[in-house]
Amino acid sequence: MSPPGGRIAPRDHEEQIFETGAGIPIDELYGPDAITGFDPGRDLGLPGEYPYTRGPYAGMYRSRIWTRRFQVGFGSPEETNERIKYLAANGANGFVITIDLPTSYGFDSDDPLADGEVGVTGVAISTLEDMAALYAGFSPSQLSYALSIRPPVSSVTLAMLACVAKRLGVDFKDVIGTQQNDPFYQMSGGPLQTITQFFPLEGTLRLCIDNIEYISQHLPRLNWMVTNGYNLRETGVNAIQDGAFTLGHAFNIFRLARQRGLDIDVFPRRASFFLSASIDFFEEIAKFRAMRRLYARTMKNEFGASNPECWRLRFSVQSAGNTLTTQQPRVNMVRAGIEAMAAVFGGAQSIHLCSYDEGLGLPTEESSRMALRTQQVIAYESGITKTIDPLAGSYYVESLTNRMEQEIGGMLADIDRRGGMVACIRDGWLEAEINAARIRNQRDIDDGKRVLVGVNRFQVESSEDPPIHIHKIRADEWGERRAAMLRRYRADRDPGRWSDAMARIEGAWRDGDNMVPVLMDALEHRVTMGEAHKAMRKAQHWSFR
Amino acid sequence: MARKRILLAKMGLDCHDTGIITVAAMLRDAGHEVIYLGLHNNAEQVVKTMIEEDVDAVGISFLSGQHMTQARRLLERMRARDIRVPVFCGGVIPADDAAELRALGVADVFTPGTLSRDVVARVDRRLAGVTA
Repeated sequence: MSPPGGRIAPRDHEEQIFETGAGIPIDELYGPDAITGFDPGRDLGLPGEYPYTRGPYAGMYRSRIWTRRFQVGFGSPEETNERIKYLAANGANGFVITIDLPTSYGFDSDDPLADGEVGVTGVAISTLEDMAALYAGFSPSQLSYALSIRPPVSSVTLAMLACVAKRLGVDFKDVIGTQQNDPFYQMSGGPLQTITQFFPLEGTLRLCIDNIEYISQHLPRLNWMVTNGYNLRETGVNAIQDGAFTLGHAFNIFRLARQRGLDIDVFPRRASFFLSASIDFFEEIAKFRAMRRLYARTMKNEFGASNPECWRLRFSVQSAGNTLTTQQPRVNMVRAGIEAMAAVFGGAQSIHLCSYDEGLGLPTEESSRMALRTQQVIAYESGITKTIDPLAGSYYVESLTNRMEQEIGGMLADIDRRGGMVACIRDGWLEAEINAARIRNQRDIDDGKRVLVGVNRFQVESSEDPPIHIHKIRADEWGERRAAMLRRYRADRDPGRWSDAMARIEGAWRDGDNMVPVLMDALEHRVTMGEAHKAMRKAQHWSFR
Repeated sequence: MARKRILLAKMGLDCHDTGIITVAAMLRDAGHEVIYLGLHNNAEQVVKTMIEEDVDAVGISFLSGQHMTQARRLLERMRARDIRVPVFCGGVIPADDAAELRALGVADVFTPGTLSRDVVARVDRRLAGVTA
């Protein structure tokens, strides 16, 4: 029909490469023969119906525009809470709470390892009172926080949330929000060392399943795990690897949960995904549609789920941070706009756009507002939301969706042959794949195979770039204030009750109990985040120092 | 350019390592020997390795805003041990901070979007004793 993909020089003498980011050849024209055997009833279904290609819900954006999630978190819980109040008043209706690095590794703000890191990349949470401060003025039954946190720490933050709900008299069955709870969340974007340095991997997996068990039994509206494909994609792997590694990872956790005896027709209802929307527009749209179909087929046919709610893949999206440039940074707004549209055509449930200045530093209020406004223009001005899945039936989009499903499925089968994603992470296979992709990407940019406007094409002298205002970090000030707060907190508790609670953590760990209620009890006796982790490490006879 | 020994390390809790892994490959391709120390190092661990491995330069990389604190600590430890080799910094580093790092004694600062040939040329120039 048309010449296959590859490098050719067209008439304007600009060399173009006719393939997707993942290397799938792109033809000049697509027609009916690109989708021979296409059966809309079987391959698409209706929105909200198996196999969910057209979207996870009937009505989609006509019923409800996606959640404009805002990523927020810096300094103390009190400062973050103030910022959330400001953003809520400006139209953001969901929040991803980012956590600082010491907290995300289970250390208190006054731990020596926290020096210079307190409040920098997110909010510091060391005590039950910190979580209560984060919710000041809001109820966990009304405002949804998604905590970007993985086990072991997510067991403690889950226990904190449950304690806050209890204190406010909110019924557990009404609590909304998300515990990211993905055991490999740091791994996705860093080596295995990120998840094994400060806590044993076996313990991390046990707490992940403890959380799923506790949430599925007591907090039915809380999302128990968000499989983080985003960080993984940010390393530079392509869209096919992104789909396969992310789904492979979720399916492996599902198998572990099933081994614990949890019901495949119950717990996957509140599972969801956090995915990247990158710059290759149609490939990303096809990826989202293909992942939804593949998930539905796998959950139904391989896991044997009979509850349709367990077939439905729901996902939030962040635009790709690794497509941002430091050079001519305002161009990043255009990139984020294209990526947001790919997420919308792909049927995302919630979207967060990177701010244009993220290649230079942490986002400011002004750049965050621009990112939100970009979404609002798409949602309320462009009209692309007004009919569901408008690209369905397109020769190209359906053919690319089929191809993505086939490629992702093939790679998933390979991962299964290797013993599943957890085994692939443990034995270093995933890390080798990631490192190869990183180096390949840099070479593609160096030799111009991949164009980055402002970096390897269309550059300007840096002096022509208008200056950008940068969010200032006050790590030392935050660290000192938090350390003083923690000294007061520890002085103001009953030492006997505190040490009994610490002993109960160790005992429950050894007895194999679900840790969430035990941690709730400990937090109420003013055990801190760092202390709870210390007790859990001790119970495993494990130390890193 | 003669083959040099270059130590690369991530410091503190930041785990973003795409940049440093890529730079390690660039420098190896350019003929240098690269020792990569992995994540979560403190200044003392980096300096100890610099001495044991007798390196010609050290590179540290940051994405999460800890560059000023950590670079200061490393430079202090190096001064205390009287080690005088060039220190390179890479990552998401605002222009003001990059200028401040240079003033503190950092040899060069590489921000995102620097092409491999430029990284290698700037490192080599510095290792050949030319001040940037």
